[in-house]
Amino acid sequence: MKSAVKKFKGLSDKAIAWIFIAPTLILLLAINIYPLIYAIRMSFTNFYANKIGREVKFVGLKNYKKILGKEEIWEKMQITAHFVCWTLVIQALIGLGLALLLNKKFKGNELLTTLIVLPMMLSPAVVGVFWTYLYNPQVGLFNYVVNFFYDFGIFDMIGSSTLAPWSIVIVDTWMWTPFTMLICLAGLRSIPNYLYEAAEVDRASKWQQFIHITLPSVLPFLLLALLFRGIENFKMFDLVAELTSGGPGSATELASINLKREAFEKWKTGYSSAFAVILFVTIFGFGNVYVKVMNKIKDR
Amino acid sequence: MKKILSVFLVPVFALLFSLNAKSESLTLGWAAWDPANALQELSKEFTAETGVEMNFEFVPWPNFAERMLNELNNQGKTFDLLIGDSQWIGQGAEYGHYVKLNDFFDANGISMDDFNPATVYAYSTWPKGSPNYYALPAMGDALAWAYRKDWFDRPELQAEFKGKHGYDLGVPKTWDELYDMCTFFQGREIDGQVRYGAAINTERGSEGITMGVTAAMYAWGMEYENPDKAYDMDGYFNSDASVEAVEFYRKMYEDCAPPGHSDAYMVANLDAYKSGQVAFQMNWYAFWPGVSKEDSDGRVSGFFANPCQNVCAATLGGQGISVVKYSDKQDLALEYMKWFAKPDIQQKWWDLGGYSCHMDVLGSPDFVDSAVYAQGFLDSMGIVKDFWQEPTFVELMLPMQERIHDYVVNGKGSAKEALDKIIDDWTEVFEDDGKI
Repeated sequence: MKSAVKKFKGLSDKAIAWIFIAPTLILLLAINIYPLIYAIRMSFTNFYANKIGREVKFVGLKNYKKILGKEEIWEKMQITAHFVCWTLVIQALIGLGLALLLNKKFKGNELLTTLIVLPMMLSPAVVGVFWTYLYNPQVGLFNYVVNFFYDFGIFDMIGSSTLAPWSIVIVDTWMWTPFTMLICLAGLRSIPNYLYEAAEVDRASKWQQFIHITLPSVLPFLLLALLFRGIENFKMFDLVAELTSGGPGSATELASINLKREAFEKWKTGYSSAFAVILFVTIFGFGNVYVKVMNKIKDR
Repeated sequence: MKKILSVFLVPVFALLFSLNAKSESLTLGWAAWDPANALQELSKEFTAETGVEMNFEFVPWPNFAERMLNELNNQGKTFDLLIGDSQWIGQGAEYGHYVKLNDFFDANGISMDDFNPATVYAYSTWPKGSPNYYALPAMGDALAWAYRKDWFDRPELQAEFKGKHGYDLGVPKTWDELYDMCTFFQGREIDGQVRYGAAINTERGSEGITMGVTAAMYAWGMEYENPDKAYDMDGYFNSDASVEAVEFYRKMYEDCAPPGHSDAYMVANLDAYKSGQVAFQMNWYAFWPGVSKEDSDGRVSGFFANPCQNVCAATLGGQGISVVKYSDKQDLALEYMKWFAKPDIQQKWWDLGGYSCHMDVLGSPDFVDSAVYAQGFLDSMGIVKDFWQEPTFVELMLPMQERIHDYVVNGKGSAKEALDKIIDDWTEVFEDDGKI
């Protein structure tokens, strides 16, 4: 035992650091990096995971060319872009609004915060299933509430090609706005009070205080929340799969739903690996640009 | 010492013995629906006879194909026996998932001549029609219709319908008549409630809308390919008759379906019917024992085979039972199959609510009167047609689901465009598979 301690004591700081990070590194390599490299390798082949014994051929960039030249893939990307953009815009506005509201001290503040945060704690699959009931044109609560304000008659949110893309935006907003709100709230609470006191002394209006103190201070937090939400929504699968299955037709078939169908229903492993790589590069590229922009804003 | 040893060793041996006894068990995979419960009940007899414990894993229909095919593709050992969809037979045979049963049948005197020919062709053979058997017909099924007989029997409705259409309100003989009747009930108030025409298949995710639309397409005379040239689909699958059938199905969806029925299959159709929303439901025969059970005097529900149009045809459902090649208990699984193939067990299977395909059961003089839907079942099994049973059937099914749903529910493009696109997709699949 003593010798072991001695040996440990004899290790350099660098060696001890390596001992601590090695398990994480090994795990990361095994479950993230290796599959990624394997998927990249697969993407250049005609491999089908269900066709046992079939010769696997190297096909070069054929899968990539096929995907990028397919009009339908671009349609799925457009559907994904519509979903991502609108959810981000709406969640940013409502999330920030709610954070501003909850930043005020009033009776029931804590209870309200808990209630608002609840949807975020539910499983997306469960949310998808129960919103199909809420959207039911005959007995759904959503349709009842809408018709209470204006009588649209019977309308089918998830069965109509015009409404279905909005139906998934609404559900995602309902579920994930609390996340944006919480991050913004953390930002708001980190603003020192003396800034507002100084502004009061300078006779700045509430609007000026919001534009010149609140917004710049909370913006890096908001952008961070949107980065997380953007990445998550680009990969969105479970909620939409349960809610609409990508339908009607392909009106809500996001890129990830299409990818899952190609990979695990059609078993086009090579082709879907290429598609996954394209999606990964897209998210990675957008993410990097976004982080750079975010850092610039933060530095200002 | 002896006492101490016996105190410790007896429980250990007892435990080992019980574990050993429990190892004599089989696991059977199927979809989670009424017939599966009937099979579970029936299998108790097998356990009583042989001491082999039967375990079951029943997967809900929307996930059934995905779960089972993933299991097979991963060469999983979860299942010893699998009651797989008819379309899986090509994949099961070609990719070596199923045990070939010819030698076993010969050795045990099981003759395929004892089973309904349509079911043997559809559930057991690969290549189609060849004497190579990979499954025993287990559960005959076809897409059919149930209707609200109690509404149809009302004199005032009968009179109104006859006045409007010039013929009696009753079991529709053609799809045109079906449409007349559906629209007659659409939005009609009966007993203070608004009712609708028909709950038809519109499900997007798995196979629902394809199974539904093909019921119309087959009745219009659709063929998948040139009978003289395999995989030559242009002019057959997208013929004028096929286009007309798809357009008709859309008309049925728009004019007859209840609101919100845009992603509905078996359970949703059943719910719409049972809750009194619709006059008709499209569904599999497998559900009729359940519907019939709730209507003991037979006044509420009636059943009929898929209506004819240009020809008489029905969409095939049903499954065969196969032994999974990756099972470590193939011999035991074959024993189960031998037991299941016995005529007396097949009779009990039908009595419990399963759809036997055995000719002794179907040909029995009492069969037609044994259930209100028995005659319809017999009629349907004589006119069934199935989707592609190719090993690539999932790759063939998915584009059809998307294109048809896009046209019928989403209203995108035309029926001809949808069918043309499906042919393009299928051509790509067949080319990739080396069939073209």
